[in-house]
Amino acid sequence: MEKVWIAFAAALAVGLPALATAWAQSRIGAAGAGTLAEKPELTGVIIILVAIPETMVILGFVVAAMILLML
Amino acid sequence: MIIRMAKVEIVGPKQDLLRTLDLLHNRGIFQPDPQLIERVVLADDERLQTLVLDENELRERSFFQDLQERVTNLLELLPETNHGISELQPLPIMALLDELVDQHLATARDQARILNESRRSTEILQHDLSFWEALEPLLEDLPKNSNLELFGVTIRDSQQLQKLDRLLQERTQGRCYISSTRTADGTLIGLIATDRGTADDLRQALTAERVPELSLPEELASLPLPQRITALHDQLKAQRSKYKQLEEQLIDMSRHWRPIYCRALAWLEERLALYRATATAYTTRLCFIIQGWMANDEVDRLRDELKRSFSGRVVLEQQAILEEDLDQVPVMLRNPGYFAPFEILSRLLPLPKYSSYDPTPLIGLFFPVLFGMILGDIGYGVILILLAFFLAKHFPARTLTSDLGKVLGIAALYTLVFGVLYGELFGDLGQTWLGLHPVWFDRGKTVVPMIVFSLTFGVVHILLGMTLGALSEMRRHQPRKALIKVAMLVAVILMVLALVGWFYPQSWLSTGPLLIGVGILMPILIAAEGLLAPLELLKTMGNIISYVRIMAIGFSSILLAMVANRLGGMTGDIMVGILVGGTLHAFNLLLGVFAPTVHSLRLHYVEFFSKFLDLGGRRFEPWQKRHP
Repeated sequence: MEKVWIAFAAALAVGLPALATAWAQSRIGAAGAGTLAEKPELTGVIIILVAIPETMVILGFVVAAMILLML
Repeated sequence: MIIRMAKVEIVGPKQDLLRTLDLLHNRGIFQPDPQLIERVVLADDERLQTLVLDENELRERSFFQDLQERVTNLLELLPETNHGISELQPLPIMALLDELVDQHLATARDQARILNESRRSTEILQHDLSFWEALEPLLEDLPKNSNLELFGVTIRDSQQLQKLDRLLQERTQGRCYISSTRTADGTLIGLIATDRGTADDLRQALTAERVPELSLPEELASLPLPQRITALHDQLKAQRSKYKQLEEQLIDMSRHWRPIYCRALAWLEERLALYRATATAYTTRLCFIIQGWMANDEVDRLRDELKRSFSGRVVLEQQAILEEDLDQVPVMLRNPGYFAPFEILSRLLPLPKYSSYDPTPLIGLFFPVLFGMILGDIGYGVILILLAFFLAKHFPARTLTSDLGKVLGIAALYTLVFGVLYGELFGDLGQTWLGLHPVWFDRGKTVVPMIVFSLTFGVVHILLGMTLGALSEMRRHQPRKALIKVAMLVAVILMVLALVGWFYPQSWLSTGPLLIGVGILMPILIAAEGLLAPLELLKTMGNIISYVRIMAIGFSSILLAMVANRLGGMTGDIMVGILVGGTLHAFNLLLGVFAPTVHSLRLHYVEFFSKFLDLGGRRFEPWQKRHP
């Protein structure tokens, strides 16, 4: 039973930030695509902006990996 | 690196201005900046004023502008030929060209008009012919009756055809026959046959219904249909021959004159650019003054050349770059061999300011290391080296693809090195099949060492960034700001050491005094920077934690590689196993190139560069000839 809870905790740790990241990237990506149509020179800035919310899911993934491998 | 620039002032007699500008234009190493003089000259100083062209110069400029317009119009009419640009010097024959261009323009306009008319006639004939050829088979269904009158019509769609059929049958009491077909371009056309007595009535009905009758020249209208088609063929052939002849005449004219006019236009554009450039010069009653920027290592050469060309009348003087000039100094980046390809990554950012740093060498040093740390696999490294070798070898040097190949090659080398350290070859395949062992640690099984390694790299990277930030303020002669940055740097070091002492207690590393040190620094930082100082400290710690992504993305990459190996092994067939495993590894490699690139760049752009890089510099854009 304990294993189930560990797996559930790990799933939550990565799943919730993944949803948040997806939502944030969808908004930033759409705005970024619009921006690039008018100002292609901002490619670097847009890549950075799209990659910023990925921090959430990456940290979630780290926490999930630590839950699974260290508990 | 950012090339050292020089602020220079060029002074000479007024009559030498255009020749001086011409020389600067030819050299292509000087960027004028009239604002430099505007900042220095007092508002009430009447001795210096912007250059006003004299009457002769104005007349000459007006003449060149007018000639440029006429030559441009002529070149638009002359077809392109592959005879390039003439080597003829246009200035001695400018007066002759002025006369000739009007004659040539008139001839070319006439030729172009006749050519257009001929093209239109050909198109109409082709159109008519396609209609009548499509109608020809319909004639075979008609009775051979000389009393029949035939009409060709264009019909909008099948509904209109049905409506037309009903209407015509009513008007002629059934003494009418209509059949339809489609031409090669899909247009629906119809052939209507009726006796001569009802023809006029029927023609009126067609007009009322707005059904266009196929028109023909009068001389063809009276001919029977087969002769009509032959006559149309003959006319078309004659028209095409005439068109070709006219076209040849225009091409012949273009072959003779286009290279000369292209050369004249290039010369005129350069000459008029010189006149525009005079707006950047200031003059006194007798002299001109131009101020601007150029690379420092070119100054002596240009000074000597001006001295030689004008017998010492025009002089160049280098001036000190003042503090208020720093934001205005244009920026030119030039990097040596190894770093040059990395400019494709630094170009994604706006230019740095002159007093800041060129990010290219830093990207060149750290980007491949981060890439290798994340991907770290011998197999992937070898594949990427081969791909990089192909790109660098098969594309010309200093093109985007070739530079991409070189950057990929260097990153792949680090991937190979870290692959050896982690003991990875296509994930755990090397360990299973070849008994490969990690030289350092197995990141697929132990998470903590990789997290510590990633965060350590982050600490070094961020501390380097903060040090460069402090040095940057020193270069900008801002000692107070530099001191604040140093204090923040010390606070971050103390925080990091306190965290290390917390997680890995050492007898020589006591957390308490370190935190007290941060506590002492904090009021100083708040006094200097305001309430945002503690937030800045937290942000910096967050920046360091962000480097944990190196471990996370690398870990996901090795897990995917292991999944590919397991799935390949589960198939039980060596060929299917290779196919399944190979496909998944290919997918992982694709992700493995994209994700480390984006995240390594992000770590540079957001975490590292935000500590010291001052963006928003002006690009160095020297005057230079558009037509060498």
